[in-house]
Amino acid sequence: MKFYVCIKQVPDIDAPIQIKNGNLIQDTDRTVLNAYDASAVEEALVLTEKHGGEVEVVLIGPNQAKETIRKALAMGAHKATHIETREESYDSSVYASILASFFEDKDYDVISCGKQSQDTDAGLTGSMLAEHLDLPYSTNAVALSAQNGQLRVKRQGDAGQELIALPLPCLVSCSNDMNEPRIPSLKGIMQSKRKPMETIALDALEIDESALEAKTAVTGYREKPKREAGQKFEGEPEETARQVARLLDEEANVV
Amino acid sequence: MSTLLTHIAISDGKIKRSSLEVLSHLRRQAEQHGHQVEAVIIDAEASRYTGQVQQYGPSKIYTVENPVFKNHLNAPLLKALEKVIEQADPSLVAFASTESTKDILGALAAREEAAVLSDVSTFELTEEGIRATRPVMAAKILSENEARGDMILVSVRSGSYDLEEQASDAEVIEIDFSVDDQDLRATLEEIISSSGDTIDLSEAETIVAAGRGAKDEKGQQLISELADVLNAGVGASRALTEAGVMDPSLQIGQTGKVVSPQLYIAVGISGAIQHVAGMASSKVIVAINKDPDAPIFDIADYGIVGDLYDVLPPFIDELKKIAS
Repeated sequence: MKFYVCIKQVPDIDAPIQIKNGNLIQDTDRTVLNAYDASAVEEALVLTEKHGGEVEVVLIGPNQAKETIRKALAMGAHKATHIETREESYDSSVYASILASFFEDKDYDVISCGKQSQDTDAGLTGSMLAEHLDLPYSTNAVALSAQNGQLRVKRQGDAGQELIALPLPCLVSCSNDMNEPRIPSLKGIMQSKRKPMETIALDALEIDESALEAKTAVTGYREKPKREAGQKFEGEPEETARQVARLLDEEANVV
Repeated sequence: MSTLLTHIAISDGKIKRSSLEVLSHLRRQAEQHGHQVEAVIIDAEASRYTGQVQQYGPSKIYTVENPVFKNHLNAPLLKALEKVIEQADPSLVAFASTESTKDILGALAAREEAAVLSDVSTFELTEEGIRATRPVMAAKILSENEARGDMILVSVRSGSYDLEEQASDAEVIEIDFSVDDQDLRATLEEIISSSGDTIDLSEAETIVAAGRGAKDEKGQQLISELADVLNAGVGASRALTEAGVMDPSLQIGQTGKVVSPQLYIAVGISGAIQHVAGMASSKVIVAINKDPDAPIFDIADYGIVGDLYDVLPPFIDELKKIAS
């Protein structure tokens, strides 16, 4: 099976952040492989280890995103393509257009990606790309298996889990509930340096100017109004439990 | 004057309250800006729900009725939305942010070449489109966004707006719809698990959520007793759904459901940012945890430091007294 996994470098959401004049400032430039994409890489590795095949990762981003590509290669992906952009960030529709143009002349069984980016949580690019490429797809996958030339997806829906069979080629977006992505071994890290990584300049893809125009824009950031810590009770459990129950009734009016 | 279309989501034979919240908001926006608001119901029994939707004041209701919509599948839903959009020619289509919506929103935007903003907490119309607020960075930060274009799609978090009835005698328009195997593209083989008759978390007034601290059988028993007394939905942190203790559809957080109930009781939950991202907009938060330094206490209105096995029995007992 030939897997392409679309990955993204994102800021570490656990790192401290500040807002200055409406701009988001990271105290460190700590970036990570998007956690949902890491699960997609892991699952592609598991399936190709079982059924044979190849995992190629694709990343759109500036030069410093190469370290994120190395991470995926160190996990075990076989090769990588880096679509190199300048510093600007794009909206989901631009990412999807760039990827659609990249995949136009490629052969594959499965394109996978994380179900959302952990910084913006938009969750749009996967199904946009499927639509551009006219592929059957599923989102929010929590388990994958390959059987009889189909990809079988367990999808977390609103009320329950759906077992969906997709014909190949197809696209799937992955939840981080799918697996625990492997930590690259020292051997994996050493090998990653010799694995093929092709860099394509964005201009070389000759994408329509209009497809690169974002339809949405972030105009600013602000702090979320902070919740104040309320009353904290550390006394004897029997008494404090009863006291809080009464407060919920008499003070908060929520029971 | 342009048309603002609201998608009415149906789940378990009921209209999702969150889509009526979106419809209420859109109707107020339409009045302010001189537009008309319409609704679309896509379901195996779509016509059953038109009466209730009329209570919220759309001028037209489109129905697409077909057995294929008994369970969610993205390809036929997209086809149905495309047909309705062709007929209604809306400048804006608004959705409640459900898993079904998340499954199709990007694809629909690509198909319609529409601008799209997902999972917003508020939005309003502007001259060129919409302005919307989205929580980002695990909901620690709010981003302000603009979307412009001839057609805009937006999905809205549940609990963002109040319901407001305004009865209308909306015209009901049935859209002719059929599917063949070609349209399905994928096969739905099985619905593996379903939370069945449990309370829908995205709509629950009260939620009792269990974390790692309530992992064992006795903890689970106490959680369900507490939920019974309060007629609450039961949720879980990722630790418990991953461990297989709780159904994955009950997970609350950045990865799972985002909820905003009147009362949220976190039991044995430390309060990792990924969990907080899914519940921080609850009106009143109660935390029960034996670790006095657990971060959940920083956002709790009422914090009880103590072992849940000591705290919950008297807590439940007192709530029973209040209820009676």
